[in-house]
Amino acid sequence: MFRISHLFMVASAAALLMAPQAYAQTKLTSEMAMAAARAVQTYAKNDGSDPSTVVLDTNGDIVLQLKGNNAAPHNIGLAERKAYTANMFKMKSIEWRDVSMPGKDRADERKMPKVIPLGGGVPIMVGNEVIGAVGVSGTRGGQEGDTAGAQAGADAAAALAQRPVAQN
Amino acid sequence: MEKLVRGVALVALGAFVVGAGYGLVQQMVKISMLQSLSNNDISVEQAMLVAEGAIKGCKKDNSVISVAVVDRNGAVRFLLRGDGASPEMADNARRKAYTARTFRQNVSTWIEHTALDAKDEKGKPIDLNGQQYLENTITEPGGVPIVRNGDAIGGVGVTGSKGGPMADEACAQAGVDAIADELL
Repeated sequence: MFRISHLFMVASAAALLMAPQAYAQTKLTSEMAMAAARAVQTYAKNDGSDPSTVVLDTNGDIVLQLKGNNAAPHNIGLAERKAYTANMFKMKSIEWRDVSMPGKDRADERKMPKVIPLGGGVPIMVGNEVIGAVGVSGTRGGQEGDTAGAQAGADAAAALAQRPVAQN
Repeated sequence: MEKLVRGVALVALGAFVVGAGYGLVQQMVKISMLQSLSNNDISVEQAMLVAEGAIKGCKKDNSVISVAVVDRNGAVRFLLRGDGASPEMADNARRKAYTARTFRQNVSTWIEHTALDAKDEKGKPIDLNGQQYLENTITEPGGVPIVRNGDAIGGVGVTGSKGGPMADEACAQAGVDAIADELL
């Protein structure tokens, strides 16, 4: 009996080792989200603007939300949709806007709920992995300006991420 | 004598002209300012300082909290979901902030004030329990109003601290304390 139980333990240990490793994803933390918001605010200060910012995780759930002092009513919801778009398609929302133009192959993607073909959403990249997204609405430079602000935020968040060490 | 009378009359006339002019200017300023309201409101920078103060206040026991700061309208100015917290937890923080803002008191005080058996100092029933049925309110402590000069310009709400709702409220108070010198 003793031996059989040992055999079972060895077998289960071997099974654990051979099983595919759980996908170790870098998590977006609230600290990274805060760093992103601070970076967007710094961008806005140089820009002389007053944007609204949303940071989403990979599920599309809000981690951070910041409404500008004199935000227009649509700004905060739009910032969320831009971030949602960037997270969903794993690219800047301004790039997705261009590839989903009516008449193009991907035009039907515009019919999905919550996405928006406007610039200002940028994915937070750690290596090749998307761990969330930043959406900005209300800078001075229009969609390009919002994209630049969101990029500053995404870079600041990614800088705090610890890259997973490759194990082979 | 005639000179004196004329002098007094001139002075009186001058005083009248100056007074009337002053009144006219005041009236013009009033009219030009009647067109819109301007209210104090919690700013982005203040809201972030409040949130950071609350997080710092909760660090003592390694609590991971969610924080919401609402503006004078009760709308979210700033929201941060703690690591591992659900979106519902973050929304509860918002509701605490909203409740504190709209009733201009700590949520724990408001809960006592609106309890079924609540009585005033004279022992008379308060009968405000119905307030607890208002949407966006929450009957869990953890919210503190942000008051400037007697004017509620916002509210802060906290969820997720290890010590429970009353500890949440202490963290929220630490957040307000972070901008105390701007609220005089």
